[in-house]
Amino acid sequence: MIRVVWRQQRAQLITMLAVFVVGAAALLAVRASMVSYLDGHALGNCVAIGIRADGGCGNDVVQSFQDIWFDRMKVGQLFVLALPVLVGLFGGAPLFARELEQGTHVLAFTQSVSRIRWMSSKIAVAAAPALVVVVALQLLVEWWVGAAGKIGPLASGPYFYATFGTSGLAPVAYTLFAFSLGMFVGAASRRTLVAMTVTLAVTVVLRYALSSLQKFLVSAQRIVSDDPSVSKVEPGSLTVFGGYLDANGNVVPNANSAVMNCGSKGDAPVTDTATCYRDHGLVKWFADVVPAEAAGTVHLVEAAIYLGLAVVLVLATGWAVRRQA
Amino acid sequence: MVDGQAPVLTEGLGKKYRRGWALRDCTLRVPENRVVALVGPNGAGKSTLMGLVTGLVKPTAGEIAVFGDVPNGRGLHPAVAFLAQQKPLYPQFTVAETLRFGQRTNPTWDQEYAEGLVRRAQVPLTAKVGTLSGGQRTRVALALALGKRPRLLLLDEPLADLDPLARESVLRNLVEESRRQGITVLLSSHVLAELEGVCDHLVLLANGQVRVAGDVDALLDRHVLLVGPPEGPLPLPASSVIDARRTAEGQEVLVPASLAGGAPGWRQLRPRLGHLALGYMRDASREVAA
Amino acid sequence: MSTPALCAAGLSKHFGRVRALDDCTFDLPEGRVIALVGPNGAGKSTLLSLASGLIRPTAGSISVHGTPVRGRMHPDVAYLAQNRPLYPDFTVREVIQAVGAMNERWSQPRVEEVLDMLAGVDRDAKVRALSAGARTQVAIALALGRLPKVLLLDEPLSDLDPLARDETLRIVMTEVADRGTTVLMSSHLLSDLSEVCDHLLLVVEGQVRLNGDVEDVLAEHRVLVGPRDDESAVSGVVVSASRAERQATLLVRGADPVPAGWVADRPDLESLVVGYLRAARERAAARR
Repeated sequence: MIRVVWRQQRAQLITMLAVFVVGAAALLAVRASMVSYLDGHALGNCVAIGIRADGGCGNDVVQSFQDIWFDRMKVGQLFVLALPVLVGLFGGAPLFARELEQGTHVLAFTQSVSRIRWMSSKIAVAAAPALVVVVALQLLVEWWVGAAGKIGPLASGPYFYATFGTSGLAPVAYTLFAFSLGMFVGAASRRTLVAMTVTLAVTVVLRYALSSLQKFLVSAQRIVSDDPSVSKVEPGSLTVFGGYLDANGNVVPNANSAVMNCGSKGDAPVTDTATCYRDHGLVKWFADVVPAEAAGTVHLVEAAIYLGLAVVLVLATGWAVRRQA
Repeated sequence: MVDGQAPVLTEGLGKKYRRGWALRDCTLRVPENRVVALVGPNGAGKSTLMGLVTGLVKPTAGEIAVFGDVPNGRGLHPAVAFLAQQKPLYPQFTVAETLRFGQRTNPTWDQEYAEGLVRRAQVPLTAKVGTLSGGQRTRVALALALGKRPRLLLLDEPLADLDPLARESVLRNLVEESRRQGITVLLSSHVLAELEGVCDHLVLLANGQVRVAGDVDALLDRHVLLVGPPEGPLPLPASSVIDARRTAEGQEVLVPASLAGGAPGWRQLRPRLGHLALGYMRDASREVAA
Repeated sequence: MSTPALCAAGLSKHFGRVRALDDCTFDLPEGRVIALVGPNGAGKSTLLSLASGLIRPTAGSISVHGTPVRGRMHPDVAYLAQNRPLYPDFTVREVIQAVGAMNERWSQPRVEEVLDMLAGVDRDAKVRALSAGARTQVAIALALGRLPKVLLLDEPLSDLDPLARDETLRIVMTEVADRGTTVLMSSHLLSDLSEVCDHLLLVVEGQVRLNGDVEDVLAEHRVLVGPRDDESAVSGVVVSASRAERQATLLVRGADPVPAGWVADRPDLESLVVGYLRAARERAAARR
């Protein structure tokens, strides 16, 4: 059965391989070019420490690098962000829809092979190579972007949407979800166009929704600053909620008016913001954050959600394929 | 000049495609006011011949004249109507809109006549074409073709996909109208049994060539079907036999009538159109295999 | 009494409000060539799909050689679907290989043998380039490769030219004669069917109207021709009538004596089926 399915999907798989080879070659070339630029402009140090006034990595030095390379790297990341949706649209959606539309499934259904075996073979032959390609391209882009270190997109921290969605388990999880969604809608509706439209819409909406809920996926830690005017948020971490505590350690509900009163007003400079805050009852500053180090856990939780949905969709596809009009 | 006005007259007509000659050495005269059956296996050249008559295909060799005119690529001869096998009708159009389409695209259109045909087929003018049954759709397509008052009507497999009742009614309607209006009908069909009694002229193509052409009655008179015991040799040498079939009940051998006397002990039957056509087709296919 | 090849009990299939088959109960004997006839939309394709396990009945059951058909292909059954499903960009050779890989019991030599009998299929041609007739021939060969005991054919002759029809019928006949296969084939080409079929199953408006040996069924009916105004003298069930100016031709079921002034004849398969189709059409027209 696998051989048959492979022969059926041969054209698509070859196209995918060709696209991958071209993409990989381009990425390797582009990375090499960027690395030689970095070396040529002695930016190795800045890659490690980021934009800092001291250490010779001021804005002016780094600016020209970023002017040329930052947007390109963003494009690379966006490409990896888009890959799961493309796999869902062109790999998942037509997988069953096309055969069901054309009626060729009747050939397989009237032989002595079970529908589930037919379905599994099709899924395996279509999904496995697609996942390999997605991971390979993900790693290549990560390798490229990593070469720019803290003067590239990675400076925004692991939770920045483009970085988060293109690292760790994220691309695989999104791909499995989009693929399963496409194939389920295709098997259920028996129409390729419907499957593609629904896959695109639902995947985009769900990705957007889960991105917004990203900070709630793991429990946040509370960090407190004794000086209420000083924030202690580490760069690269995710702030879920923040504000001020009063003397008893409770959250001050409406700190805004107090904060405004203590800001500079026209000509009168504010000498001691901290004292001003304390006078208004804002004793300490706090923030509930998800630190950068927790990114791996957040990835796991998010991936678990997508994978859980994917499993449900695969089971639902089995139901759709065995269902008979 | 009588011949110059024959519905279809060909002389050494041929068409070559990349893969070979689809039609070769075709010299035919289709007589007026007949129902002509065009039969032959797939790939014998029937659609090519139809294409040459309608002008959709240009000849590679020889000549063809339709009512004395040479078909050019600029549309069908005004006196010729063509009904393709797929019966191209727009499913969202109503029957009335379909007839209006015929009116707008044909200068010789007779709206009253076309509507009458549709009414006699008991098809409502307001029905959408897509909701009609196969037989009804064929009747509408036929009305569309007959509405331009052609003198020659070409039909490519008009009865395919119709159930026996629909086939019977379409064929009856076709024959009635063509007799009444004096139309020459050239009809290609695979179903030989139904053409008996309907067609009075036969053109049989095989391997791109005309094998048999002529009046059905005359052809049947010129052949004899010999029926004999299931075992045993052929009554005549193989070269005189057009086709022989062996079944469990007996052998059936198709021979020219002039040679039938040389087969004593065998029953002599007048062949049916189906026997004749199948016999020649099998004969032709054996030539290719040889 | 051997088990019937096919056995249906209260078989019904509804598509929404359309009742494709309604409460059908029938047995079909094995080793016969059974003609499945009826008007378009009567339920013939539905019946074949149910027997093959492609679709599930709404009510009732159907079994093949005693085993109920439950939503999957019975290993002893082969099915030729009306649209001849084949993979369009496979070559003929590749399709044969593919179908072989999908079957436990498979005879490649049988497929090749059947394809060779039917002239003119290029093994290296792509399926999408084949003519409708060639596709049918390939699909029939594939069905026979399963070495079935029951062969279900949905309109096997409709795309074929007379030569190919002749050859196909011959293949079907040899299959039955040599291997005792039961063949259930639906077709509109009654003249061809009458040459090969020995059993008749007539389905009209989703119900079985006739089921029996062709000879027996024909013997049960008569075609009576007589004066139109004397129709009431005719006893027995009048299936259908066609009336000319002064004469009426009736298809009658029953062995009742023939009234004076009427001529009786045994119908052939075609006139029998056409009679029932005509009756169904008139009923449908009367309902509208």
